[in-house]
Amino acid sequence: MTVNSVFLELLTGLQLGAIYALIALGLTLIFGTLNVVNFAHGALYMIAAYVAVVLANQVGFIAAIFLVPIVLFGVGIALERGLIRFFYDRPHTDQILVTFGVALLVQECLKWIFGANNIPFPLPEWGNGVAFLHEYLPFLDGFVVFPKWRLILIAVSLITVLGLYSLLQFTRFGLVVRAGMRDPQMLRFMGINITQRFAIVFGLGALIAGVAGVFGGPITQVSPDVGMALLVPSFLVVVIGGMGSLTGALLAAIMLGMALSFTATIASLQQIIIYLVAVVVLLVRPRGLLGKKGVAE
Amino acid sequence: MFERENRARDLTVLGSFAAIVLTLPWWLTAIGGYEALATKIVIWAIFALGFDILLGFTSYLSFGHAAFFGFSAYVTGLMLKHVTAEIIPAMVVSFAGTLVIALIIGFLTLRRSGIYFAILTLAFAEMLHAAALSSMLQEWTGGDNGLTMDTNPVLFGIEMEGLNVFFFCALILIGGFFVARQIKRSSFGLMLRSIKENPMRLEYTGVNVQAYKMSAFLISAMYAGLAGSLMVIYEPYVATKFLHWSTSGEVVIMSVIGGVNTLIGPIIGATFLLYFENVVQAFIGEQWKLVLGAVFVLVVIFLPGGFVDGYRRIRKAFGAKVEPRRQNVPDKPQRASDAYDRKNTATQYVD
Amino acid sequence: MNAMSGQALLEVQGVSKSFGGLKALTDVNLSVAEGTTHAIIGPNGAGKSTLLNCLIGLLHVDKGTVSFDRRPLTGIKPYEIIQRGIARVFQTPQIFPGMSLMENVAIASLANRDGQFKVNPQVTLDARHPAMQEAEYTLRKVGLQDFRHTDAEHLSRGDKRRLELAICLAAKPRLLLLDEPTAGMSRHDTNRTIDLLKEIAQSGMTKVVIEHDMHVVFSLAERITVLAQGTVIAEGKPDEVRGNPKVREAYLGGSQE
Repeated sequence: MTVNSVFLELLTGLQLGAIYALIALGLTLIFGTLNVVNFAHGALYMIAAYVAVVLANQVGFIAAIFLVPIVLFGVGIALERGLIRFFYDRPHTDQILVTFGVALLVQECLKWIFGANNIPFPLPEWGNGVAFLHEYLPFLDGFVVFPKWRLILIAVSLITVLGLYSLLQFTRFGLVVRAGMRDPQMLRFMGINITQRFAIVFGLGALIAGVAGVFGGPITQVSPDVGMALLVPSFLVVVIGGMGSLTGALLAAIMLGMALSFTATIASLQQIIIYLVAVVVLLVRPRGLLGKKGVAE
Repeated sequence: MFERENRARDLTVLGSFAAIVLTLPWWLTAIGGYEALATKIVIWAIFALGFDILLGFTSYLSFGHAAFFGFSAYVTGLMLKHVTAEIIPAMVVSFAGTLVIALIIGFLTLRRSGIYFAILTLAFAEMLHAAALSSMLQEWTGGDNGLTMDTNPVLFGIEMEGLNVFFFCALILIGGFFVARQIKRSSFGLMLRSIKENPMRLEYTGVNVQAYKMSAFLISAMYAGLAGSLMVIYEPYVATKFLHWSTSGEVVIMSVIGGVNTLIGPIIGATFLLYFENVVQAFIGEQWKLVLGAVFVLVVIFLPGGFVDGYRRIRKAFGAKVEPRRQNVPDKPQRASDAYDRKNTATQYVD
Repeated sequence: MNAMSGQALLEVQGVSKSFGGLKALTDVNLSVAEGTTHAIIGPNGAGKSTLLNCLIGLLHVDKGTVSFDRRPLTGIKPYEIIQRGIARVFQTPQIFPGMSLMENVAIASLANRDGQFKVNPQVTLDARHPAMQEAEYTLRKVGLQDFRHTDAEHLSRGDKRRLELAICLAAKPRLLLLDEPTAGMSRHDTNRTIDLLKEIAQSGMTKVVIEHDMHVVFSLAERITVLAQGTVIAEGKPDEVRGNPKVREAYLGGSQE
């Protein structure tokens, strides 16, 4: 292994982890506060990607970047108000079933409208092509390139994560949400209007899936199967990180990204590596890396 | 005396079940289906029936039962292709293999319940799916193309095709239904069903909950494995879809639509889903999956007891005196006290 | 009284348990003689329930030993502890809500035989099954026989408590742990429960009762242990404890009433 290849694999790992992280953050945020497992989260990502393709064609890519998360925020709130909230008092199995049903519906609707195959998602001119990394990073040896769009994806994920963290750490809303993740019952007793905040949290989770859809869509393909294909690893990220732990999810996402990236040369191992990592982590730490006792047991 | 009553009732239930199943190819054809569809329905019914022993009894929702269905299908396929076209050895080997896989997956997933369990089972099934497609196993599994065979499977030299396969599968379904019913009514079944109600109370009543959970998981995996094996015998081809999450999803949909914890519900669900997929599809075209998804969501929201519960509600609405929920105790209220008074043998706490 | 009386059935020695920085139990000793009724009293937060939880393996003790019938209870699974002959009534009634009362109690009768693990699908669990007869008998004993085919979730809170008691009795334990068995019951029901518990006492079953209601405590207990802030501050016969100044102080100083 040379410095160059290690560096490139690190970057690839980060980029793969970034998509998982964005989806898993929304999942774990929703789970942590609302105690709902959203099997439709992959579907939200898919909606975002499809809407992004349409908007990018109609009003341009830049506009799509700003519009898609807003649209998804609305979709999230509509989903929570229209359906999910009726399931807060029902068993977890029912919540899983209904969100799974929604995921199927979304998948079939998209298939109906856009067809079963992958649709092209052309990159904007400013994001196309490769970046010449060796021009900026002197420790690299010789000629090192990396697709520009993937670098942008890493940067955007970083900004989103930081944004989410500051929202949770430095605002009143964030304080309530964090308190809710610790003990949702208590908030209810304290008379805090949680219904409204619940809807916003769900919307927020969808919004992050929206960001993931716009920036991840060109990389992961835009097809009706991609939602479920991304949901499974994202679930693993959430479970490995520890249910309801944002930092844990982030760590786990990077871990899985790296695991995928560094096994790229051994194809048969790469296909099952994330599951192996999950098994090992859960055998050693059944609650996940940063999981708390008593969550979802 | 009431033993005889119960036995008569049992025979009626099993007899009508057997009659309906065995005549399936004919009445299905009458309502727009076809003979081969009957076999497929029966196979999926076995799968869904076993699933109910896990989901219905213990309320552990597995999203990874495709693992057992698909694994068993692959093993059966490989046996038929490389060893012998006789189905009995293939079924035995795949059955044993499925049991081992189920033990491993059960050991890793049953330590957690609820959400964790659903996610972990889903992950393990996806892992098997990925493994089957991987470059390492491609040579054996046929990769994306699935596993194809050129020989037709035989049972003691008799070609397994057409009605032969159907009757073979139907007999297994009837036997499976009988066993599941017995389990439900036994003390073993009571233990399984109480896991759903209150696992903590159960543990602190002195019951090895983990062992009972594992047994429910293994039994349902065996049904799934059996179904997977029969699928290959019915049609000598193993599709990669058998291991895909959508197969797990389908069995979940069947069970929930039909009504969990009723045994007959998932069988009705399987019939409905396959009928919908193969017959109704002709009328509503490509969007049948969309309609099915909508039906599923509506059932989850408004009819958590599935079709079976819907049937009960309709009968109630028409003023019929609906039987209370079938209990583990099949007798009428006063019977139990009669029995007690007649022979006062119950163990006493007070001397 | 039972011939075995005087022999310690349950022996708790130097048990400590803390949650984070909070010391819930400090060096608690408790010895319960076979065939007696032992009450544990103390102000809220004294560690009474924590102590019971440690006994049945719901919590792991940090230090000390718990032994039952001279065999240690540490390092074995909760259901194995129960199988040694212990039953527990919880503070919030733990029952099987979606099942009939008969089934609720039958599970406990079966637990002795099938608890470890047993598959016997060939035997139908009908009215003549011994477990069902026992269930019937036990329900009659606690006065719930009229509801035996009702689902447990439809019972009132007090009746749920009695059902839980029936579940525990059906397991035929040697030691019965009761965590506030009369909380939420009317005076009438409380008296009935006291009578029932007295009746059980005659059979020689050993009981440990946590209770706030002093009426219940003094009509049942033969010995009383007083806990305050996780330590034993008094132990003895009811009259001795009643006159103990430390106990008065703990109750008057510790509560706001």
